[in-house]
Amino acid sequence: MLIAQQLVNSLMLGSVYVTVAVAFTLTIGILNFLNFTIPTLFMLAGMMGWAFAERGLPFGLSGPLPWPLALALAIVVAIVASLVVERFTFRYLKARYGDATEHAIPLVSSLGFLLIFENLVRIAYGTDAQRFPGPEADLSVEIGGLFVRLPQVVSLVVALAIVLALTILLRRSNIGRGLRAIAENPDAATILGVDVHRIVPVVFVLTGVLCGLAGALFAISYGEVSPTMGDDIGTKAIAGMVVGGLGSIWGAVLGGLIVALTETMTINYFGADTVQVAVWGLLLLVLLLRPQGLFGHNAIGKGKL
Amino acid sequence: MLLEAKDLSVVYGRTRAVDGVDISVGEGEIVTVLGANGAGKTSLLRALQGAVKPSRGRIVLAGRDVTNGSSAARVAGGMVLVPEGRQIFVSMSVHENLLMGAYLRRDGGIETDIAAIYERFPNLARRRDMKASVLSGGEQQMLAIGRALVARPRLIMLDEPSLGLSPLFVEQLFSLLKDLNRDGIAILLVEQNTSMALELATRGYVFELGDVVLQGPAEELLGNQALVAAYLGGGEAAPTEIPPHAGS
Ligand SMILES: Nc1ncnc2c1ncn2[C@@H]1O[C@H](COP(=O)(O)OP(=O)(O)O)[C@@H](O)[C@H]1O
Ligand SMILES: [Mg+2]
Repeated sequence: MLIAQQLVNSLMLGSVYVTVAVAFTLTIGILNFLNFTIPTLFMLAGMMGWAFAERGLPFGLSGPLPWPLALALAIVVAIVASLVVERFTFRYLKARYGDATEHAIPLVSSLGFLLIFENLVRIAYGTDAQRFPGPEADLSVEIGGLFVRLPQVVSLVVALAIVLALTILLRRSNIGRGLRAIAENPDAATILGVDVHRIVPVVFVLTGVLCGLAGALFAISYGEVSPTMGDDIGTKAIAGMVVGGLGSIWGAVLGGLIVALTETMTINYFGADTVQVAVWGLLLLVLLLRPQGLFGHNAIGKGKL
Repeated sequence: MLLEAKDLSVVYGRTRAVDGVDISVGEGEIVTVLGANGAGKTSLLRALQGAVKPSRGRIVLAGRDVTNGSSAARVAGGMVLVPEGRQIFVSMSVHENLLMGAYLRRDGGIETDIAAIYERFPNLARRRDMKASVLSGGEQQMLAIGRALVARPRLIMLDEPSLGLSPLFVEQLFSLLKDLNRDGIAILLVEQNTSMALELATRGYVFELGDVVLQGPAEELLGNQALVAAYLGGGEAAPTEIPPHAGS
């Protein structure tokens, strides 16, 4: 029973890791780009959701907003921030130097944006963790002896639904095929009329949606947000992505859940201090035994979506 | 003229791959471009399609200047390239590859057009839902051409489509090109198979080191095969050594 309860708890924690891991996988798979702003987009959604709900729009444009509206606006902020990153890292480089992915510069500039966004939030709202005025995070039901917290169930369902929607978009829609074509062979895709300049922003919008949603779900499930909330989630999501296999969306889903399970189990049996050792130990073990990850096709993620 | 390029140049770093070339393709015409390896044929086609930016010159498609336009604008304008080495999407199914040809189309006729492709290439129809990577070389070439046809081109450009195909497939390929042309599609064909290309074409250009050194009606070039062969560098020392992939 204890194991079953742990399993339930990690599924809930995993929903946030999964969503962020899929965001990482998407940009790596399509653009061959490890986008370091992803954890900050997640944080922005959480912090802005809190700010809109507690203090209202900036510059006194409104009073405190109802929390669902606040979170919806916060997701929009994450999407806009993601597009700003695209505009000033990827597109600029692409236009000036050809294939941006050949350079470390997008990676470094995305790291720069991570720090800028994080510190802007600190300047505006301070460094403290804040209580998110959402629904009761502890609202729970008992099913067959297992305690299931409702906001976290909603998180898990929403996370899986958005990933499913994303895979359907990639499989079935014209724009999804265009994205996969760019991922596999940008040259052939261009020749057939896929416009890289138009489609790359789509990747960044999707990244913003995934991270924004993850941040909103986190705020609802845990009832607390902070300017550093992205740091831990970001590294765990990267671990989940690598464990699952670079460039595989369902691999990222499973990897995110495995990392969450490892985390819950280690906390339970060995205490919180051992979590990082366990998660990164697991990652190194997987890389040693199966460098392509559990579901990856090869060690390089590009072009496998 | 359906397609007209004037003074077209393509430069990579210090390599001048195409050097001020004039070339044209009329409505419903079959034009062939011949030349030794490294003569600049692929660079020419890629510049015409907008995959590389020409350093000089003008490209006019059906009366519209597309020189600075995107590749997408040219596909929408009725010109599509079947690239060297086929470049099909091996991670996609055969059917998805064909749908990629219709990427820019918004009309309702796509499925009908794909059905027509399947009718023309029954092998593709049988493998409709398989990964394109399972196709043989000849089938992959058919898929690459089928994919281009789904874009409904008025002009189709092919870069060495017969390369690596068995003689039987080469025969099929050339009769397919003849059929397509009969349906009203103009063709710009880059080929190593000089005599077959000249027999099919109405006009031809011979390239050497980025320059047009010979051009005229295909019959005339056919009658002058010795000269053409000389420019194709058969047996002679390879043209000037040029460092591959300089710059970029
Ligand atoms: N991407 C590139 N970067 C640098 N040089 C190139 C590139 N593509 C082709 N070249 C050079 O341009 C010249 C023409 O090549 P290409 O157009 O491929 O000729 P062909 O198709 O007639 O064999 C060659 O010298 C080749 O090495
Ligand atoms: Mg070539």
